[in-house]
Amino acid sequence: MNGTVEISLLKEIMVQKNKMKKTMKRFISYITVILLTVSSLMAQVPEPAAPQSGSILLTGGIAHLGNGEVIENSIITIEDGKIGVIANATLVRMDFSQFDERIDISGKHVYPGLILPSTTLGLEEISAVRATRDFREVGGINPNVRSLVAYNTDSELIATLRYNGILLAQVTPEGGTVSGSSSIMMLDGWNWEDAAYTIDDGVHITWPRKRFGPRWWMGETEGRDNKNYAKSVAQITELINDAKSYHEISGDKEINIKLEALKGVLDGSQNLYLHAEKRSEMMESIQWAKKAGIQKMVLVGASEAYYLMDFIKENDIPVILGNVHDLPTRNGEDVNLPYKLPSILAEKGILVGLAYDGRLASSRNLPFYAGTAAAYGLDKEEALKLVTSNTAKILGIDETTGTIEGDKDANIIISTGDIFDMRTNNIEMAFIQGRKINLDGKQQVLHERFKRKYGGK
Amino acid sequence: MRKVLPIILFFGIFIFKIHAQENFPTNGPKDERPQIYAFTNATIFTDYQTKLENATIVIKEGRILSVGSSISIPKGAIVKDMQGKFIYPSWVEPYGNYGLPEVPKVKSNWRSSAPQYYSKKEGAYGWNENVLAEYDAIENFQMKDKDATTLKKLGFGAVNSIMENGIIRGTSTVVSLAAAPDQNVIIKDKGSLNMSFQNAASSQEYPNSIMGRVALIRQTYYDAEWYKSSNNQTQTNLSLEAFNAAQNLPVIFEVNGKQRVLLADKVGDEFGKQYIIKGTGDEYQRVQDIKNTGASLILALNFPKAYDVDDPYQALSVSLNQMKHWEMAPANAKLLNDQGVEFAFTADGLKKKGQYLENIRTTVKYGLDESEALKAMTYTPAKLLGVHNQVGSLKKGMHANLLITSGNIFDTETTLHENWVMGTKTVIVDMDTPDHSGKYDLKIGSDTYSMEISGKPGRHGVKIKPNDSTDYKTKATFEGENINFSFKAGKDEEGGIRASGYAVTNGFKGKAQLADGTWADWSATRSGDLEPKEKKDKESDDAPELGKVIYPFVAFGSEQIPQQETILFKNATVWTNEKDGILTKTDVLVKDGKIAQVGKGISISGAKVIDATGKHLTSGIIDEHSHAALSGVNEGSHAVTAEVRMYDAVNAEDVNIYRQLAGGVTAAQLLHGSANPVGGQSALVKFRWGMSPQQMRIQGADEYIKFALGENVKQSNWGDNQNIRFPQTRMGVEQVYMDAFTRAKQYDQEWSKYNALSAKAKRTATKPRRDLQLEALAEIINSERFITCHSYVQSEINMLMKVAEKFNFNINTFTHILEGYKVADKMAKHGAGGSTFSDWWAYKFEVKEAIPYNAALMTQAGVTVAINSDDREMARRLNQEAAKSVKYGGVSEEEAWKMVTLNAAKLLHLDDRMGSVKVGKDADLVLWSDNPLSIYAKAEKTMVDGTVYFDLEKDETLRQEIEKERIRLINKMRGAKKSGKPTQKPSPKIDHEWHCGDIVIEGNYGSEE
Repeated sequence: MNGTVEISLLKEIMVQKNKMKKTMKRFISYITVILLTVSSLMAQVPEPAAPQSGSILLTGGIAHLGNGEVIENSIITIEDGKIGVIANATLVRMDFSQFDERIDISGKHVYPGLILPSTTLGLEEISAVRATRDFREVGGINPNVRSLVAYNTDSELIATLRYNGILLAQVTPEGGTVSGSSSIMMLDGWNWEDAAYTIDDGVHITWPRKRFGPRWWMGETEGRDNKNYAKSVAQITELINDAKSYHEISGDKEINIKLEALKGVLDGSQNLYLHAEKRSEMMESIQWAKKAGIQKMVLVGASEAYYLMDFIKENDIPVILGNVHDLPTRNGEDVNLPYKLPSILAEKGILVGLAYDGRLASSRNLPFYAGTAAAYGLDKEEALKLVTSNTAKILGIDETTGTIEGDKDANIIISTGDIFDMRTNNIEMAFIQGRKINLDGKQQVLHERFKRKYGGK
Repeated sequence: MRKVLPIILFFGIFIFKIHAQENFPTNGPKDERPQIYAFTNATIFTDYQTKLENATIVIKEGRILSVGSSISIPKGAIVKDMQGKFIYPSWVEPYGNYGLPEVPKVKSNWRSSAPQYYSKKEGAYGWNENVLAEYDAIENFQMKDKDATTLKKLGFGAVNSIMENGIIRGTSTVVSLAAAPDQNVIIKDKGSLNMSFQNAASSQEYPNSIMGRVALIRQTYYDAEWYKSSNNQTQTNLSLEAFNAAQNLPVIFEVNGKQRVLLADKVGDEFGKQYIIKGTGDEYQRVQDIKNTGASLILALNFPKAYDVDDPYQALSVSLNQMKHWEMAPANAKLLNDQGVEFAFTADGLKKKGQYLENIRTTVKYGLDESEALKAMTYTPAKLLGVHNQVGSLKKGMHANLLITSGNIFDTETTLHENWVMGTKTVIVDMDTPDHSGKYDLKIGSDTYSMEISGKPGRHGVKIKPNDSTDYKTKATFEGENINFSFKAGKDEEGGIRASGYAVTNGFKGKAQLADGTWADWSATRSGDLEPKEKKDKESDDAPELGKVIYPFVAFGSEQIPQQETILFKNATVWTNEKDGILTKTDVLVKDGKIAQVGKGISISGAKVIDATGKHLTSGIIDEHSHAALSGVNEGSHAVTAEVRMYDAVNAEDVNIYRQLAGGVTAAQLLHGSANPVGGQSALVKFRWGMSPQQMRIQGADEYIKFALGENVKQSNWGDNQNIRFPQTRMGVEQVYMDAFTRAKQYDQEWSKYNALSAKAKRTATKPRRDLQLEALAEIINSERFITCHSYVQSEINMLMKVAEKFNFNINTFTHILEGYKVADKMAKHGAGGSTFSDWWAYKFEVKEAIPYNAALMTQAGVTVAINSDDREMARRLNQEAAKSVKYGGVSEEEAWKMVTLNAAKLLHLDDRMGSVKVGKDADLVLWSDNPLSIYAKAEKTMVDGTVYFDLEKDETLRQEIEKERIRLINKMRGAKKSGKPTQKPSPKIDHEWHCGDIVIEGNYGSEE
């Protein structure tokens, strides 16, 4: 058995050891492992999990497959990092002894690991401290800038997201007009090469604002027009045209790394992510991208999508909604419009995924965005798609993840209750590509430490 | 020399025309003239309510000699026959700036340099550049003929000239608009003392919030009182001296918006002053409260233009409030008048001052009585300034300020002819200008044309046609009896015909030069009158139909503010927060705003019965840390601002009140921000949607104050220029408190000593100066005011408790308190509560070790724990935030629920009447569709004091009503656009969502808590 649970401080494990008689045996073996690697003990982030070595069988779980289906009493097998069989336990027979490890999860809920798109996870540690901000490069046109290489696997935030079921993240640069290229990362790994799930999945355009908000700190209550809007749009049009021309030239040419970086977007192998919030900005960004001949585009943010639904549907553009727990844009709007928006768009037939705008550290609340979508109109299994299979489809990783289905990566979470509700969300176990990852992090360590200080168990 | 000459001539003219500067030397012979004029046969309004037909007014040397129907005309009078003309008192402008220098501009180096904490004004003045009591308009006044003429042409005769600069703006002067030497035009040297809630053109930091401005005004009153007492031995302070000297004057207080009218009045009440309040024209939206102030108003007339709503999506940006105000603004005066509120009109704030009369005519059309309108233009402004015996009426001995018009001024066809001010005439439209309008046969050389002269005298236009076909483009000018015109006969012709001539009997004649240069005689013979014009579109003279005022005047407001009801909830799952725990199948009766009964099988006649089967009933959520419903958060200037009060910043019209009711929130502590170690005094409010700011206040609640520690107060994230304010370290923060409490203690002792004296001894003793800041701090020491302290790391939490212990008081609450879990045992021992975020962290360095188990751990250590929002959106999901302490740390559901109800009530000392479902407590209740901690739970009904302010079903209806009203107004605005009325581009008002850390600093405005 490998170190499926890692505890950061030896001292604490020693204390826990004394209290947890039942699991004494297990811990002793961990301690042995840990003692051998003393130098790594002081690290504040948990040690990455080792690759899956033996086959695993999960029995009895209520499986929410992420494709709309639920199996109340399921059997799930995990082999070589992949899901082998997923079946209804009441309908199949299986020889449990075939598996190296059987885990009984009767009555617990199994879900595909959640996917957080459009995030600065790993690029930002403490937003107020400049030295820890690595998500915004200078200059307006940066398609060649890649989040991949800056992704910090030792970010303390990662463990807190994992704890709530997020296993994959699309790590995305911000700022400028062409912000850079994102990569999809696993929330477990020794370094960015290890953690990479899909490298350079797409290029992100932060669509220019047509109008700026009021500078409230100067007492303004009304916004003002962006006089450079047309100029900014012209700039990216020029960029795309130049990139096309550049890639048409075969043979000898002076290498331009910015234009090189747009190849995938032009040939349709990469997504173009259009970040826009206001109705006219969203509409114009889509019109622009179509005119530019972009084949795969995704709308991100989209807080005013309610007013552009038909257009989005007609053009078959997937949407990553930025903020479910938001206030309505306008005073007279339905106070719950942002809560209802995912279900309104989904019912329209639009492919919707959920991101988490706002504080990065709070993005661990992604499951509750889906919960709100479920509370305001969506069937729970449909709501699950918003943070699993839909997002996988949008990001182009649905062949390997996003649902619990055979041959897909074993990216799975297990909770004692409904993960959408704070009352019941309690994730006990998670696998990324079959690796049983440590869910605890520094926050749990501190919790235990002070619980003891105040005489708790 | 050429340029100078006309100026000399000009001065010569008006100096000579003015009489009686008998003590001034003259260069050359004295040229005093009789200056007696008699205006006869006129319709004269001797005041707003007295109309004399066929009357005469005689003026002499700038004053009215006599006025009446049968008066004798003195010898030497120049008689002017005013047959058919009306004479009014010239208007009085109560709020102008005529003759004063321009208000200096605020320096534009806005926070790009180091902050300025002290006054830079040289001289023996007060400490704050916003208190300009020493400003005396008369000392800066200069007659400006050009500006005077402009105003006179609009109809004004006298102006109260105010320097609109500063919070306390000094005294104004009431002047006549006569073109006369400065010495002669002053009607009243000091008209009013003027105040506002706007800063002066100054870079001084304090105050930078509405609360700070109120505090500065209050402290100035107290300081002024102290200044004149014997207690002031050393200080000469010209600002306070001037402030004291101006106390007998009327005070005009300029505010922005109806809620500020109420606020200004409240400030005045404290000092026994009834201010005259100059508003922005939205007072009708809270007419009853405005009436109750007893204040007279100066009403702005800037009615908004219709919004261009042709683009249905752009129209979404126009709020219901903006639409309704567009419709109702012209009815403001009428609605106020109906309630008996006294008011005067001002042209201040109008982009084109010419709209003054135009907009008053509209006001009259909207139902304001003509004599009331005239009163507000003449008598009332004069009376408010105490000059009604000199201007504003036409009575013997008063200034001869009279306006001659062609008829009733409220009739749109009426022309203003002459405005006589102090007996000197300004011609607006010459009443002797001949009227040439009519049809003419025009003959130039041998060619004949038809010619039409249209328009009013002085503003004639000319059309020339060859033979009833198309008009030639014609330019024409009239000067008295003379005419010049030119036109091209046919498009292609170069040059054209240019003609000049003069009036003769029944027409004109003269010479014209043709395109080829030849000269020809021309003549025009009048052939008849013009055909009467058709009225454009028949605008009815009836008052327009208007929508209803809603409370508050924003979306989701209601015509009727919800009322208390007797309500019986049947068969609910009741979360009592009491010993009984969670009761199933239980009834709760609400009566007279209180919880009357809790039990099974309750029945009562007359109660509205609500079937709560399968639903959960709880007490309302109380948000310990909120900045909703505020129009400002930080007085982020000085390190200590204990004197500011958040009650002064309450905005009862914030739609987030309604949104949070929809999330089950019924009460909140509205806190000052975290920009300084000692912030301001809290406002404890209930979310009584539709009520005024004052009515939202929880009466009898204890007094609270915000403190703050850490990065915000040491300005860590404020940008590179903000590094001179003490403190910049956590070491300094402690010393700020030590200093403040040491001073407060001494202050308190001084007062105690004074208060203990006998009445007799008090007479000779010196009364200490009242200091609002030290008073609030002393209240803390005396446990009469309680601290809610923004805090994060354990060192500072510990420090503040030790400071408090040195002064023998307790910290009531640490708010946010994200490292509370590290010192929870100390907090419990000290007796401090903790009001925390459920799971925020990592947004700045000091929250690096924040963990979501904080609430659970503090609870474990025996601390009273609440969960707060500090966020307008999250506030409406506080039930879910409470549920996170079930997830993180395994707190029981019942205890978790208390964190947003009973525990918050405890921290606010309101648990004797709020926070649980117990007989006798306030009926602040929420009916939930599900377990209230669940993400699936919705508040179906939220009640405060037994009044249902949010109802999920009614919410649907309200939205339909909003939509209906919007469509009605959109159609009306499109109608206005179609009829040629000017429109404006939709531009939504965007309210800033205030956060705790918001400070007004350009380029760096972190709103992180």
